[in-house]
Amino acid sequence: MATTAPKAGAFPSPYEIETPPGCEGWEEMYPYYALFDERRREIDENRFWFWNSMHFPMPMPAFDVICIDSPYQAVGSWQNRVFAVPPAMGIDYRCVNGYIYISGNPVTDPAKIAERAEFFQARAGYYFQNWTELYGKWRAKMEALIGELGELQVPDLPEYEPDEVAFGEDRNTAFYELLDAYGRALRLGDLMWQRHFEFLLLGYGAYGTFVEFCKRHLPDIPDQHIAQMVAGIDVLLFRPDAELRRLARLAIETGVEGAFQQGRAPQQIDAELAQSDAGLSWLAELEKVKDPWFNMATGDGLYHYYRSWLDDPSIPYASLIGHVSALNAGEQIDRPTEEIQRERDRLATEYGALLDEASRASFNDLLNLSRTVFPYVEEHKFYCDYWFLTRWWNKIREFGALLARNGFLEDGEDVFQLSRYEVASALDELVLTWATGGLPLGPKHWPPIVARRKEILEKLGEWTPPPAVGVTPEAVTDPMTIMLWGVTTERVQEWARQQDGGSVLNGAAASPGVIEGLARVVRSVDQIGDVRDGEILVCGSTSPAWAPIFSKIKATVTDVGGVMSHAAIVAREYGLPAVVGTGRATAAIRTGQTIRVDGTEGTVTVLAAQEP
Amino acid sequence: MPGTDAGAEYIRPLPRLTRDDEPHFGGKSANLGELLAVEIPVPPGFAISTAAFHEFVAQAGLEGRIDGALARVSAGDLEAIANASHAISEAMRFAPVPDVLRVEVEQHYAQIGHAAGVDSPPVAVRSSAIGEDSADATFAGQQETYLWVRGVQHVCDAVRDCWVSLYSPPAISYRARLGRLEGPPGMGVTVQLMVDAEVSGVMFTCNPVSGDPSMVAVNASWGLGLAVVGGEITPDDYLVSKVTGEVVREHVHSKHVEYVPDPSGGGAVRVAVPPERSERACLDQSALARLVEVGKRVERHFGSHQDVEWARARNDPEALFVVQARPVTGLAKKAEKRGPASAMSLIMGTFGAGPRND
Repeated sequence: MATTAPKAGAFPSPYEIETPPGCEGWEEMYPYYALFDERRREIDENRFWFWNSMHFPMPMPAFDVICIDSPYQAVGSWQNRVFAVPPAMGIDYRCVNGYIYISGNPVTDPAKIAERAEFFQARAGYYFQNWTELYGKWRAKMEALIGELGELQVPDLPEYEPDEVAFGEDRNTAFYELLDAYGRALRLGDLMWQRHFEFLLLGYGAYGTFVEFCKRHLPDIPDQHIAQMVAGIDVLLFRPDAELRRLARLAIETGVEGAFQQGRAPQQIDAELAQSDAGLSWLAELEKVKDPWFNMATGDGLYHYYRSWLDDPSIPYASLIGHVSALNAGEQIDRPTEEIQRERDRLATEYGALLDEASRASFNDLLNLSRTVFPYVEEHKFYCDYWFLTRWWNKIREFGALLARNGFLEDGEDVFQLSRYEVASALDELVLTWATGGLPLGPKHWPPIVARRKEILEKLGEWTPPPAVGVTPEAVTDPMTIMLWGVTTERVQEWARQQDGGSVLNGAAASPGVIEGLARVVRSVDQIGDVRDGEILVCGSTSPAWAPIFSKIKATVTDVGGVMSHAAIVAREYGLPAVVGTGRATAAIRTGQTIRVDGTEGTVTVLAAQEP
Repeated sequence: MPGTDAGAEYIRPLPRLTRDDEPHFGGKSANLGELLAVEIPVPPGFAISTAAFHEFVAQAGLEGRIDGALARVSAGDLEAIANASHAISEAMRFAPVPDVLRVEVEQHYAQIGHAAGVDSPPVAVRSSAIGEDSADATFAGQQETYLWVRGVQHVCDAVRDCWVSLYSPPAISYRARLGRLEGPPGMGVTVQLMVDAEVSGVMFTCNPVSGDPSMVAVNASWGLGLAVVGGEITPDDYLVSKVTGEVVREHVHSKHVEYVPDPSGGGAVRVAVPPERSERACLDQSALARLVEVGKRVERHFGSHQDVEWARARNDPEALFVVQARPVTGLAKKAEKRGPASAMSLIMGTFGAGPRND
């Protein structure tokens, strides 16, 4: 169902894409099954693959590939083997020059679809009917899982095992403990991914059905109004920033706001605060807030680059400085929750009243169900992608530090340049030589591999992947592709047209308004700091941790995402024009160009090709 | 007087009409009366009943000539229809408006002048179709409109021209098709003070293209609005949310001509609009908000989507008038009505585990 009467031509064949100069051998970073291999060329070349730049905007480091494998193992398990979504199995991925392309596996046999429909109705029905209870249990399980990850010890390799190993009962040697810890760390990651997708399809499906219903009965309804009717009021993801606003107010009330000056680093601010009693009690209050609210990631969580606010406090501190200066300027910084609640109810009542009686009943039923599932849709990222995953990367860093201490790596951070099997292999040799007292080869073996891969990744980062490869489908009908990535028939046709280039980009009109300004292309999270006041953010996609950036920019444009993507939601919250899902904004636009963003029509125009 | 219905009522001021008067005064007049009752601004005016038309026919002794002319007409015979139309129209144009009616017109016309503070007030004279004719009135050619008419004589002439339009070839053809050529047809006439419109237009209290009931679609252009009706210009086109008042879509077009009152005293003339004004949007956010508010009230009163003609006075941008309201017709038929679908069955459709949702 993913494609009907596909045609070649518009997008390049994945088999004819050249390796950028200097990146030869990039394939070695990735599993054999992740490549466009000659042995299945006939099939792979005739499928439609699109770049999943929503989750993988940058070339994948070798270790981070686990965040492709596990999610697609997990999402496929639920979609295909548990709920048996009738027309769609799971999602295949392939890697081209380090970038990830995906393609759904359709079910085409009507008898099979009918068979799966019976599973789906029973199982999905059970989840919808017991949603709140099941989701409550899910939250408890996630917190337990995060606790378990925290308790996982990465043992060092001592010269002599402690007395307990010799004299105690059932004690293990570091050989077993270390290899077991690595295996458990990987298994905990898998468990998180399994939980991550348990509700995702159904949650997005319920919400997507409501969106479709609204668009059918109210064809001109602004997307924003649909989102407003459903969105939660006390949303977990707003809590971290709400805490920062509270802390900013506290700083002013206790007279320590002078510490929060533009341009200061967190350490400088802390140092000044530490000099007064009021400052010290402010810092004590901050400590209370950190767990769990600083477990926000600086990115969408699928790369090890994304640290939490705990690891890198520059984002929350930048927010604090902004909030303090806004408060000093007499601005209102709180979310007007009562007003939001009133408006939410008013919209729902008024739109409902415009429908005939039968449609109104369906509308209300779908709205209620959407509101029931929405906490999961909004909150799972905090639990999984931020809280768990940033801590999990840090756990892997502990293994990296151990390898570095033993000369296998020059720097602990280099662990991410090895695949998870290579890390297992390095740990095996490390334990072996620790046990035998023999000479390890690792210190000679791994550092040159790491150095070469870093070089390749940097060069691949400068390459611009096409939005899609393979054949152009006549229609995209895969419900998951449409629902989760916003990749619709129209979008793909637009990408195909744009392959020739052109100065106008089309995407989804995600937040209304028209604005012109200088573009700032941000391709990875470590470039966030480059964004200047009043620029237009052009990026692959954003995540909640980018929220502070939205108070600096005046519009946003993304490559991937629908009207419910994070960038779209936040842009509406901040009243900024946004166009999402353009497919190639980061490729077509350069930092410093003057662009016009029309968030009402969904177009982005490059006005002046001037580059700095 | 022969043929006179002694108890017949010929004229009534608009504020005293309700929807129950539609069979006698026509839909346009009755609707305006309804709007006035709920305090929607409508220019002052009066309605002429179908009895007045019958009186006119009787007094002039036209019944025989009309019947005779129509006797040879059959539905598909366009030549016979054209001949009949010509014969009847000529006869009617030379027949006098009965004195009893002329006196009443004079009296009510004077009242409009009194209310407006002018001696010989400019008025709009429009036909007000009756019964099921209303919906098809456009096709039947019964939408006569005479703008900026001044003086009793001209008002009476315009009223008679409205009646004549009942025997236009399309009108005869329409009634022939329905097999309703026997006996006199009915039609009312509406006479209203003219608004010297700086801007005028039409709004639908739904999007007539998509059928979205949460939108008000507004068309607007400079002047008296004839340029839009006549297809001479493309009006500015707005789509406004009823729920939040947001302007969801806005297309400003070049409105290079407009109709304004003829300086010589009667009728409207076409003049060029200078470029800097023709390219400008003729409604701003607050003007649209006021319009949409009125549109919503009209729709709420009638309980169905309305097609509303409106005008905004030149010297007072606050003065917004509804000059006509009627149900929206010809809306694209949506998928046939179904019973309420449960959220669950709709979600199953999304996942391909049930009937598709479209």
